Formats: sequence, structure tokens, C-alpha cells
Amino acid sequence: MIIDVDCHNYWSSAEVLLPYMDKHHRDYFVRGEQPGPRGAFPHGHRPWLHPEGFKRADINPMKEEDNYTIMKAKHLDHYKIDYAVLTGDEAIEASTLANPHYASALVRAYNDYQVEEWLPRDERFVGSIVIAPQDPHMAAAEIRRLGHHPRMVQVLASHGATRPYGDPFYHPIYEACAEVGLPFAIHLGGQGGINSNPIGAGPTTYFWETHAILPQSAMTHMASMIAQGVFEKWPSLYFVIIECGVAWVPSVLWRLDANYKALRKETPWLKRLPSEYFKDHIRFTTQPLERPDNLEHLWSVLEAMDGENTLMFASDYPHWDYDDINNLHIPPAWREKILGGNAMQVYQRLQALEASKKAA
Amino acid sequence: MSDNKHLVCKTNEVSPGNQKIVQVGRMSIGIFNIDDGYHAMLNVCPHQGAALCEGPVCGTSAQTDKAEFIYCKDEALVRCAWHGWEFDIKSGEFLVDPNIKAKTFPVSVDGDDIYVHM
Repeated sequence: MIIDVDCHNYWSSAEVLLPYMDKHHRDYFVRGEQPGPRGAFPHGHRPWLHPEGFKRADINPMKEEDNYTIMKAKHLDHYKIDYAVLTGDEAIEASTLANPHYASALVRAYNDYQVEEWLPRDERFVGSIVIAPQDPHMAAAEIRRLGHHPRMVQVLASHGATRPYGDPFYHPIYEACAEVGLPFAIHLGGQGGINSNPIGAGPTTYFWETHAILPQSAMTHMASMIAQGVFEKWPSLYFVIIECGVAWVPSVLWRLDANYKALRKETPWLKRLPSEYFKDHIRFTTQPLERPDNLEHLWSVLEAMDGENTLMFASDYPHWDYDDINNLHIPPAWREKILGGNAMQVYQRLQALEASKKAA
Repeated sequence: MSDNKHLVCKTNEVSPGNQKIVQVGRMSIGIFNIDDGYHAMLNVCPHQGAALCEGPVCGTSAQTDKAEFIYCKDEALVRCAWHGWEFDIKSGEFLVDPNIKAKTFPVSVDGDDIYVHM
């Protein structure tokens, strides 16, 4: 079983969302100010720029349909992927907009577009309900609106955020996730705009430099989700951190455990060590897996985070740092769990899909 | 109680809610005066060997299910002087993990004299 938990479905132009927008927000989109050329997705841009764009250079969709057909040929069929969790692309950047009404309208349109135009194309596709977390109540409403769709497997936001995700401000989101039985996932992105502090000490200059240190925000979110007691309040919730690196995880967990042992009185709602909440509730995706010269160095770090049980395979198709499933640098004995077993556990909706496939 | 009984100090040398560090042979020991009487604890933290008994005698927040702070164990804990781990003065138990214990000793009082039994 191979489950790719980070597969980006592209569009040629964000104008594909127009049919799914209400008239009020369609006017914003058609006549309003845009951050890029015609058809660009509205978002508050980040200060650094990728010098080559994000896509693999061998993936060049010319028309809308190519976005799927190329993905099918070069990724899904080529690597025999059983399920691909669609993570969209620009849609999570809605989190950068100050206007929560516009941001929520954009993600609603994206989600409907995903349901209508992507999920039916291939039975291997399952979806993510993208939310604009800057208004948690509107986000919760969106989760409840689509949360019972049989092929929606998670709720997705950007890892760039206005405040750490454990903050009680966001708790309506987790309330809704728990209600519909979906994990909450964050994906690298959403820097700029109102998410003005995704990098400690201020904006970096170059893209490759920035990409290496974007895990900073993920560290903040991981610590915050544990410390604020999100997993005590919602004991069945999974928190998935996508594309934020993994080698840093043990070091942060070690510090969290050590500091908690000294200062547990600050958070009396916690009942267990931070690392125990991590093992039961937080999952990381492989891509981009760090690549030290000596692979043993990586493996000992992965072992320290119980990687066999906490990592899920992600390709990040079709991005510039895409990972080939056959060259995944993980211990061979862990492959079965990381390639599919762990995702099956986290995305319980997939278990139902599998069961109905077998029954058919 | 064993016969290995050591006179360590006078009762008026340990004020209520505080501790006094005494020396028994080569061992440094904290003598605590808390509401239910006198207690003795080895002045070595099981965490990293720091001077455990030189930290503050204090209370802490009780475990709860929500964001509320219920002060408890007032003057029943000592926080290690170095890293702040909280130990129950009577039992020596570390609050986060009761399997980790600071070494404690029985204490007896005879008139003004405090004895530690080893």
C-alpha cells in the first residue's frame, strides 16, 4: 500500500475557482487588486522569491487538463500510488489575507472545485478541506460543511500563521475536526501578508536559505499544540505536519520534556510528558527528508522520534524538491509503515474507503 | 528506626516553612520544618546531583482538566536549586514521575534536638 500524503493538484489559473464563488467575492476576484498576473490567486506575498518557480522543470502543463494527465502518467501510475492526498497549491495562501471573509470565500471555492473537478477524476484521489484559519469560526463552519464527504480525509491550513496553532483562539477548528473525525494538518507555506513572522529574527533573503529554516514555525506549532493541551481536550485528534523537515523533531521534544519536568506547574492541564503526546497525536511527512553525507546520522535521529510510527510518505509532487519513492532514505524495515501503514492509521476515512472497495 | 541516629541541629535553627542544610559525616542533608513536622532529605537531586535542598520550599499548581490554577501542596515541596524539579518533601517523590525519588530519612525530635536516622 502506497499512500502519498502530499500530492499537489495544480491549476493553470486561479480563475478555475470563479464558477464556485458567490457574486460578491467574484467581483473582488475579477476587478479587484491582484498580487500577480491575471489569474493569480489573491494572497499577501512573502518577501523572498523562488528564482525558478516551484515546479519540476519536466512538468509543463499547457492546458488545464494537463495538470491531471501529467500527474497520472509521471507520478500516480509510474510509482503505483494507491492513494494520493491532494493538498492543492496556492489555496492555503488564503491564510495570508487580512480580510477573513474574502479568504474564507476563496477556500470555500477551492474546496468545491476540488470536490467537483479533482476527486471524481481518479479513485486514488482523496481530498483536504482547506481552511482560512484567521477566522476560526468561519473555518469551523467550512469543516462542518464538508467534513462528512467520504473522500475528504483531513483539514488543511498553511504553517505560516498569525499565532501558534495551539492557541485557544484556534480551538473552534479542533472542535470541528473532532466532530467530523478528521486530522488537522499544516503544510509549509502561507508566509507573508498577515502571517508576518514565520521566520525568527525577520525575513531572510534567498529562497534556498529560507526553505531550510522554515521549520522554525513548525517547531512553534508543535510545542504550542502540546503545551496548550489540545490533545487533552480532543483525545482522538491527529496533527499532521507536512513538508517541514523532521530531523529537528527529537531535539525539540528533548527540550520540551526537560523543561516540562522543571515547570509543569505552568500547564496543569497536561497529564503526560510532551513526547508522549507527540507519539500519540503528531505525525510528520517525509518530504523533504534531510540528506546528511552519512545516512546513519539521519537514521539515528529518525529512530529518536520513533520514525517507524510517526512518519508518513510524501512526494510533494510536482515541486522542485520532489522525492522519488524508490530513493527514500529510510530504514528498509520501516518502509511498509511509512509508505502506507501509518497514513492508514491517521486518515481513518481511508480505512472506510478500503473497506468499501473490498466489499464492492 | 535504625540505631544509626545523628543529632543534626536544634529545632529553633529551622524556622517554619524553611530548611537548614546540615552535614552528617560526608553527607549533606536538608532538614525541613513544614506544617506536619520535621523532615530530612539528601541534598542531592536524583536528576543531576545538584544541591536539591537549597531550593525554595513552596507549593505548585494541581493537575486539572482546564486552564485554571489551583494552588496546592503549599510548603510541601522543594524545588531543586538548579533545574527546578519539584519533590514532595515527605515522600521524596518527583511530581512528574513518582518513580524518581529523592532520598529521604526518618527524623525524630527529642526536646529541642532533631535527629536523623540512617
